[in-house]
Amino acid sequence: MLAHNAHSILTIEDDPVLGAHLKTSLESQGFEVTLATDGNLGLSLARGGQFDLILLDVMLPGLGGLEVLTSLRHQRRTPVLMMSALGDEGSRIQGFDCGADDYLPKPFSFAELQVRMVAILRRVAYEQRGQPAPQDPLHGFDDNRSDLQHDGRWMELTPSEYRLLKLLHDNVGEVQSKPFLYQQVLHRGYSQHDRGLDMHVSNIRRKLARGEVTCWRLESVWGQGYVLREQLN
Amino acid sequence: MPRRHSLFWRLVLLVAGFCTLLIAASDYLGARIDRETSFLSDEAVQVLSGYGEQAQRALQKGPAALDAWRAALAERETIWLVVVDADLQPLGNQQLSVEQQSQLTFVRHFKWPMSLRSQQLPLVAIPLAADGAQLILRLPEQFRPWQNRALLNALVMYALPILLSVLFCGLLYWLLISPLEQLRRQANALRANPLEALLPESMAQRRDELGELGRSLEYLTQRLRDSVTQQRQLLRDLSHELRTPLSRLRVASESELSLSDLRDRLERETGVMQTLVDSTLELAWLDSEQPQQDCEQVDIAALWDVLREDALFESGWPAERITATLPSDCAVQGNLNALAQAMENILRNAIRYSPPEAVVNLSAQAEPEHWCLCIADQGPGVPESELEVIFRPFARLCQARPGGSGFGLGLAIAEGMVRLQGGRIWAENAEPGLRVKIRLAAV
Repeated sequence: MLAHNAHSILTIEDDPVLGAHLKTSLESQGFEVTLATDGNLGLSLARGGQFDLILLDVMLPGLGGLEVLTSLRHQRRTPVLMMSALGDEGSRIQGFDCGADDYLPKPFSFAELQVRMVAILRRVAYEQRGQPAPQDPLHGFDDNRSDLQHDGRWMELTPSEYRLLKLLHDNVGEVQSKPFLYQQVLHRGYSQHDRGLDMHVSNIRRKLARGEVTCWRLESVWGQGYVLREQLN
Repeated sequence: MPRRHSLFWRLVLLVAGFCTLLIAASDYLGARIDRETSFLSDEAVQVLSGYGEQAQRALQKGPAALDAWRAALAERETIWLVVVDADLQPLGNQQLSVEQQSQLTFVRHFKWPMSLRSQQLPLVAIPLAADGAQLILRLPEQFRPWQNRALLNALVMYALPILLSVLFCGLLYWLLISPLEQLRRQANALRANPLEALLPESMAQRRDELGELGRSLEYLTQRLRDSVTQQRQLLRDLSHELRTPLSRLRVASESELSLSDLRDRLERETGVMQTLVDSTLELAWLDSEQPQQDCEQVDIAALWDVLREDALFESGWPAERITATLPSDCAVQGNLNALAQAMENILRNAIRYSPPEAVVNLSAQAEPEHWCLCIADQGPGVPESELEVIFRPFARLCQARPGGSGFGLGLAIAEGMVRLQGGRIWAENAEPGLRVKIRLAAV
């Protein structure tokens, strides 16, 4: 997991119970938390400070969450995770349209929030690091072609499938959470009924089976995500 | 082109009838006025007849008497007059100029209609009793014919159209506005709470545009009534379903449970409530917003693998109990997430009602431009009469399919999701088991 120590989080939440709970829980996990209880205060804090991530409630007194996000996006690219009691599809789409990095419908468990936060922070870390993974001639990953070669045969992966497989391969044996894979591979937030990632996994499995690639197994880890495991034949 | 029963034809009939009636009436009345006013009045005829008799008597007394009578009358009435014989020669001692002589040929019998064309007052002839003699005189001013003609003609020209317009508008009102008034009353009745406005028989029978409007309004009323009933039912069901986890929580809070047990219980019941609220929200969204989903090509075999993997994990079933017999080219035009959710709900339902060791299978059948997907279980099935009911929200057929722990929202959501993609979903009984079928456009 990630070292949280360096991360400062701005939480904009008007519910005193939830706000206080988030603050203490996140601080116990090693985050540095600033709490704002209304939109105007939150926006001025967000503009002024250097935060790694902003947790933003949608329904706020005064300036609403979506307005805060829209104004903030004129100036800063700080990652924003929206939290909302409006859990329906329409509000979710609206949130992403305004520039949210993820959208978490209330009620959520603290564990789920943490997974989502880590996913965004990891993606940002990846972006800052650039392209560290070296070409792996052994396994035939070809970035230019976005495809994998095995025994002289191309797997005919789509760009998304290639990115997913490569990411899992770079972290072989390590479970990657769905929210992170959505952030990193599909460049969108994860939602409960989104099956896009699962379909990509299903397609990769078929293509690997068709190409007789037996050295890896792409496994699902229930309730967590996916992992690529190496297996000895 | 207006249809056969369109109001257009009635309006054509009405307007054409109005115009024809107006023209015919003014034509007839104009002619009638001309004719009536061209005759001398009864009074004039009487007076002139009197003059005739006087002339006759004077004639019998001799030329001198005739001259005297003529002079007296001419002076009294300030008119020119002459008594002539059958050959139009003046009797008595009167001499006629050539012009006067020639005018005598334009004389008109005093009971005939007068001509409108002559500029001055006409000469009229009053026959005397004796052998063709007649009294000819210029009509006195007070007996001038055509006197009321201008007034009467004006009446026909202006008053008649106004009168007929009133009649015409009355008909138009009866034809158009009074049915609209009925519709308005019906629309107003919608404001009343019970929504029980029914179309009057006379409106329902109409085959023109107003009848259609009435039927649309009726349909609208019914839709509204159904929708309100459904919403009320939904609200009632939802509150009822929420009572179960709430009462369990209440019991838990009052019992002597250890902290960890209490936390487990809390977790479980909030989970149940959250699922319930999420599903209801989803259903309400599907029902009200009619959102447009982006459609894409969905490979059914790959999707089934995804759903199957989750279902196997959730149910703990061995892999061979969830199977598929699919043609390799089976792909539909649909929204991945919506279709996944629909099929997942159907699959969960099938698993829930399956007896031990039973199999759930997905098959697909190609139809022209469509694929018909079929998820078959080996459970007890549902009674024929309930095959449509299972797609309604909170429909739980407790007696027929026991063992359910859901809220009966899964299939309702599945139905909404499939409808959203332009597809159709229905259930059939197989022996044994239930088959839920989805028909979607092929790629």
